[in-house]
Amino acid sequence: MFDEKLTAHMAELSKLSFTPEELTSMTKDMTDIIALMDTVCDFDPEVKPYALSAVDYEDLRADEHSGSYPAERILENAKNVKNDSFVVPKVV
Amino acid sequence: MNLIDLRSKLDNKEIGAVELTQDYLKKIKERDAVINSYITVCEEEAIKMAEKAQAAIDAGEAKPLTGIPVSVKDNICTEGIRTTCASRMLEDFVPIYDATAVARLKAENFVMLGKTNMDEFAMGGSSQTSYFGGPKNPYNVSCVTGGSSGGAAASVAAGLCAAALGSDTGGSVRQPSAFCGVTGLKPTYGTVSRWGLIAFASSLDQIGVVANSAADTGYVLNSICGYDENDATTSKKPQGGYTSMTGGDISKLRIGVPKEFFEGTDEEVKNAVMKAAEFYRALGCEIIECSLPSLKYAVAAYYLISSAEAASNLSRFDGIKYGYRSGLGEDYNELIKNSRREGFGKEVKHRIMLGNYALCSGYYDAYYNNARRIRTQIRNEYASIFEKCDVILTPTAPTTAYEIGCQENDPVKMYTADICTVTVNIAGLPAISTTCGYDSKGMPIGMSLTGKAFDEKTIIAVCDRFERDFDRRECVL
Repeated sequence: MFDEKLTAHMAELSKLSFTPEELTSMTKDMTDIIALMDTVCDFDPEVKPYALSAVDYEDLRADEHSGSYPAERILENAKNVKNDSFVVPKVV
Repeated sequence: MNLIDLRSKLDNKEIGAVELTQDYLKKIKERDAVINSYITVCEEEAIKMAEKAQAAIDAGEAKPLTGIPVSVKDNICTEGIRTTCASRMLEDFVPIYDATAVARLKAENFVMLGKTNMDEFAMGGSSQTSYFGGPKNPYNVSCVTGGSSGGAAASVAAGLCAAALGSDTGGSVRQPSAFCGVTGLKPTYGTVSRWGLIAFASSLDQIGVVANSAADTGYVLNSICGYDENDATTSKKPQGGYTSMTGGDISKLRIGVPKEFFEGTDEEVKNAVMKAAEFYRALGCEIIECSLPSLKYAVAAYYLISSAEAASNLSRFDGIKYGYRSGLGEDYNELIKNSRREGFGKEVKHRIMLGNYALCSGYYDAYYNNARRIRTQIRNEYASIFEKCDVILTPTAPTTAYEIGCQENDPVKMYTADICTVTVNIAGLPAISTTCGYDSKGMPIGMSLTGKAFDEKTIIAVCDRFERDFDRRECVL
């Protein structure tokens, strides 16, 4: 059962923020969604979980350095740039 | 007109590439104000590409898609052309490289008409979660197109391109193709490179094709398939020749019909698909009733796996490197949270929240690991069916296209509507959807043919055989 405390915790982990109204609405939606997801909880625990294996990756290319893009191209879509770097608010 | 005929007309100079492109651009101007299938129309670029294509044709260097006007879903990167994923987050994002699928079409001098509308980040089955407003169904503009490649399907159905590239993570090529009365092919995982496809769920995503016929989908797939060193999950198996079996004898094939796919399906849909089974039986095919018992777990397993992967993939959108950046936030974390709050729509937030919940310690084994167990089981059940069948026939969706606004705000209702398509992605198989009838309101009904891994040739041939005898209705705009 999702309550607003759990929604707020998940929002923090998800790097999202909600207004009080949005938090209430999201809590209701997540309660309904998790009720649907509960379908999987009684599944046979003896079945091995699927994972992509080496078989799915055929002959991986050598892990070698190859060409990239110049910094000015990489920075083209950034909103705030200075000295070939992304500008962010002060962290410490 | 099918692509082979269009190729022939271009090569025989019955029509010029520029003239053809102008004709499509004119139709887009006339019709797309209502349909809203395009987010971006590349008018100038398309004419330039058409001029280049015509030069190649004149030089006798035409390739299969030279001069063919195609639309590209707006989650597939196109160098110098904005690629929004139908999200405020990427409203102004202009990629600096082409997706491999686009690069391969460019190598054949195709014409890109524009970027098509979709559900935000491909998350949805109606295309109504688009930040730019949802597209409308050309058969009835009060109805949804389906999704998430709704713009791709609508653009083909409305005659606003000759074919379209879409992407399919849980049915996003097939279901809108069914709703809009066209043909949609989701290839085997690993057939088409995902390089440049903005990631939603990396173990499920696959670029597919929407077109006017099964043969046309194979025709386009021939040009975009194959190993790509930029995508380690692409296959090195020999690929191509996808239309080589069309027109051949399919009467010895065994077609499986899994009963679970018809439970909870609308009567009109069920009847139309069963009528298609009878068509194949009359040709001499063996129709075999079979079973996929784990279908009841499929929707939940799909949403847990895809959302877990989405939560990880979408963590890159922080407003720092690219994408929407909020004006609010004094510190680094607040800036990121506010950018994501303002940049993402509600459905995308549902998926991120669900994905992170499923991956949390304490919930991981009950949800994410069980979803992975179900994935193993579904793959095993498909393998078991394919021991006695060549192809599987199912409805593409439990209903036809519904009225805009009637279920998009109910996530659970939206999720459960994906029941007929998600298992194909879970198992990594190829499937194709085509129209097999019309409901009492005149809306198209879709059926799907699922094949063994890397056996696109067979499903295209089986689908093509049905289409040759089926009287498909044009939508009137």
